[in-house]
Amino acid sequence: MKASDVKVCVIRIEGTNCEDEMAEAFRMVGAAPEKVHLKQLTGQAPADMRRSLEDYDILAFPGGFSAGDYIRDGAIFAARIKSAIGPQVRKFVEAEKPVLGVCNGFQILVELGLLPAMEDCMTPVPTAALYTNDSARFECRPTLLRNDNRGKCMFTSAFKPKQVVMFPSAHAEGKLMSMDPKFVEKLEENDQVVFRYVGPDGKAPVYPWNPNGSPSDIAGICNPAGNVMGLMPHPERVLTRFTHPDWTRGYTSEEGDGLLVFRSVMQKLVK
Amino acid sequence: MSQMSADRLMIKRDVPFPLYDIDVLSATDDELKQLSSELGLSLSLDEMKVIVDYFKKEGRNPTDIELQSLGQAWSEHCCYKSSKNILKEFVFAIDHPDILSRGDAGVMVFDDDYGYALRIESHNHPSAIEPYGGAATGIGGILRDVICMGAQPIGLVDPLCFGPIDTDKELPKGIKHPRYLASGVVSGIRDYGNRMGVPTISGGFFFDDKYTGNCLVNVGCLGIVKRDVLMKNYAGGPGEVMILLGGYTGRDGIHGVTFASADLTSTSDKDSRGAVQLGDPITKEPTLHACIEVAEKKLITGMKDLGGGGLSCVIGEMALDAGCGADVDLDKVPLKEAGLAPWEIWVSESQERMMVTCKPENVDRILEIFDMWDVPATVVARTTDIPHTRIFWKGELIFDMDLKFLTGGPVYDRPYELPKTYCKCRESFPILPSNNEVILKLLSDLNVASKEWAIRQYDHEVRAGTVLKPMVGKMNMTGPGDATVLMPVLGRWKGLAAAVGCNPWFCEGDPYKGGMACIDETCRNIVAVGARPHAFTDCLNFGNPEIPERLGVFREAVRGLGEICKSLGLPIPSGNVSLYNEAPGGHHILPTPMILGTGLIDDVRKAVSADFKEEGDRIFIVGSTKDEMGASLLFRKFGGIEGDVPGVDIDNLKKLMDKMLSAMDKGLVRACHDCSDGGMAVAVAEMCISGDIGAELDLRDMGPLDDARKLYSESNTRWIAEVKEKDAKAFQDIMGADAVCIGRTGGDSLKVASAGVSLSVKDMRKAWNDPVWNIMGGAQ
Repeated sequence: MKASDVKVCVIRIEGTNCEDEMAEAFRMVGAAPEKVHLKQLTGQAPADMRRSLEDYDILAFPGGFSAGDYIRDGAIFAARIKSAIGPQVRKFVEAEKPVLGVCNGFQILVELGLLPAMEDCMTPVPTAALYTNDSARFECRPTLLRNDNRGKCMFTSAFKPKQVVMFPSAHAEGKLMSMDPKFVEKLEENDQVVFRYVGPDGKAPVYPWNPNGSPSDIAGICNPAGNVMGLMPHPERVLTRFTHPDWTRGYTSEEGDGLLVFRSVMQKLVK
Repeated sequence: MSQMSADRLMIKRDVPFPLYDIDVLSATDDELKQLSSELGLSLSLDEMKVIVDYFKKEGRNPTDIELQSLGQAWSEHCCYKSSKNILKEFVFAIDHPDILSRGDAGVMVFDDDYGYALRIESHNHPSAIEPYGGAATGIGGILRDVICMGAQPIGLVDPLCFGPIDTDKELPKGIKHPRYLASGVVSGIRDYGNRMGVPTISGGFFFDDKYTGNCLVNVGCLGIVKRDVLMKNYAGGPGEVMILLGGYTGRDGIHGVTFASADLTSTSDKDSRGAVQLGDPITKEPTLHACIEVAEKKLITGMKDLGGGGLSCVIGEMALDAGCGADVDLDKVPLKEAGLAPWEIWVSESQERMMVTCKPENVDRILEIFDMWDVPATVVARTTDIPHTRIFWKGELIFDMDLKFLTGGPVYDRPYELPKTYCKCRESFPILPSNNEVILKLLSDLNVASKEWAIRQYDHEVRAGTVLKPMVGKMNMTGPGDATVLMPVLGRWKGLAAAVGCNPWFCEGDPYKGGMACIDETCRNIVAVGARPHAFTDCLNFGNPEIPERLGVFREAVRGLGEICKSLGLPIPSGNVSLYNEAPGGHHILPTPMILGTGLIDDVRKAVSADFKEEGDRIFIVGSTKDEMGASLLFRKFGGIEGDVPGVDIDNLKKLMDKMLSAMDKGLVRACHDCSDGGMAVAVAEMCISGDIGAELDLRDMGPLDDARKLYSESNTRWIAEVKEKDAKAFQDIMGADAVCIGRTGGDSLKVASAGVSLSVKDMRKAWNDPVWNIMGGAQ
């Protein structure tokens, strides 16, 4: 497939608000992104605006406050998807097409049962949750992340092992929790851990380097197949060096760290 | 007693809905006054008499909805009756070729393809009553002002003024604690701004006892618009359709503008709770998408937001500015609850509503787009070629007024008294502790201390265009920045800088100089990041204009603002006036002309941040430091009296801005920070904190003043610049005598030998970082 043939569905409803930069990120790596309202996929739109999920190669869930997130984050968006196009989403994931969720998008993937998805690629009930930050506040701040994936995740193929990057965080609920006492062990076993927060010089990240208190400093995970990834920090906010927080203190490349995520998945699709 | 006399005049019309004819034609003067007060009109007797004369000529009495409409249209908030003539004299005339619109938001040229919108306004009184809802709906309102230009909002800016958040003084009756207000306001901004996906990029906190009884919540917004999509805020002509969009109409927010146009009282809380609206960002967010879409598809002729006065203001203005009238089917307006009287629907300020005008053939396509986003859209009116607004309720005519009369509110030249100003001749210099102690105390003053508690609760990076953030420097060791720089169009390097400037204490000491200083500070902040100042929007927060001393202060401050903007050739294409900021018990706020300035930078990759970058660089002070201690933070903190308030030499400001920008464009400046509260001592300390590098200063070359004045004077038009040794000569060649080398970066402390200053960066960071966290909670 040519890069320009890679069709990306940047899905949104009311309250999704990071779709412009998500689309821009895919555009910068040569793909063809389209911002698509959920109603366009469910037939509730004028004929010329209707779309079908199966026509896309990548599905991306941007950040925001979908439907206001006045109840559990991402729950309403996930419920609407499940009831209207649940089977199509399952088919999309089973076909090992890549699915990305950032921030609210990650929360939606967990609510959809697409992550961590250890027993099935789309579990009927969520098996993890993104809890309120330890600080009990919304926090907008830079975070350093280490790529801890051993090679399964489609979104980190262009990263070096243990490479540290800066993606900024902006959320109030980002602490990845599960009822399963062996949750982290199992994630490790399946090579599902993708990003961990780290401190400067690779040290263990105390607050605010781990901005939410997530156990084992986990910031992002993928499903056992590696085609679905969710993470709390925002790679699409650092497409150029000049939106990094400390670029005025010196830089070697004009590229932003976030581009690597999008380049990785394109490497997998474009031959 | 008064109740009875007003009742006599209210004659229920025989229709199956609540409508009263008001017998003003037979009313006595006392009864007119009572009517104004009991109907919540806030109109004076003279104004009531003008209304009586109009209806005499019409040969009939007004209905309640007509009187209510006049109360809205003639309020200070809507018609600027006390301020208009002063603004005309000093501010309105400043023109600029880059002004694309002076609509609900000003719009300036960004580049050949885009314009940017800017506007600031106040939401003071609602926030004093209900801080969370008041602030949230303030954000909602300013976003609508930008959206209705066809612009995508790209940045929110929220300067706030409160009483000291750690005060343990007894508060006047009916007044809420400043800490409660600050916490509620910040939460309101956070929950609305973050949900909308518009970054909150700048702001400011001003703490003073004088704001205890009447806090100020100013809300600013920037937007970006393709120049061929730029909207008008009025109809295209007669025969068009008006479509009401967004939220439903309810009883929330009735009499918001009349409430905003009167002093707060000890019972405002009880009386006016209904004037505060409820915000709903998740109705607004899709409304934004749909509004931009119908603008970009050129389906509409005009767009305007429903703010103060609700439908009563927007329909008349959209018709009048197009030279038309309007026929309204008021019963078509979708309601939150049944049973509202027509007048309540007409003046309700329920949130999240917009109006668009369009040609009849485009109605269906527009409704389809709004339906796609699940946003209610209803045809409620059409424009006519008769210059009247007529309202029908199920066919019954209940309102028929000449638009010119309705919107042509009174304008006053109220009496004013020029204020006494601070003077060097009455100066008393305070006795100071050691300079080490002074600097730590200034850094921990609430007006200087870190506002990270608030800044990080706001998403300041959504939209992925924030190049210089509100806090700058080493990650998680940041200090204050000067201006925020945005890259509004993804993929283009052109940048828009935004900064707030205001010094209410200078304005209290000398409003004319203070007004100028607010502009000077805004320019300094913008130049400090390497951008060229381009335009301002102002929110003029002052006291009761019916008190001559207050109006004199307002006049002088506006004169200062106007003169400096005119000389600089920089326009104020939009703004807002908020008067009647008085608290119960005769307290009034500091005069507060809040300025939001914008600047342009051709290539954001050349932007400069305030943090010291490296050891061994030279430190320069740019601009001259004078014996101008009046209203300085030092004097306020340590009990100094009067002294000269810093003035502005406008030619010097122009010259130094040019030189600084030229040096920055050549890449000679590694870090730059303006000198403001606490003078150069605080400026250098802040650069040490954000860069995590010390500095060693020698003040001898700064001239003949004593060290205390050199360190703490707040003279205008000054910056601190960090320059590499190898670039020092090139920098000095550009700056000439306007820059003086005062030391070098290095070590882990700030040292000034002659003044006995030796402070570790760590201690300074703690003094600066902790105070607000400790008071508001959440320190880690």
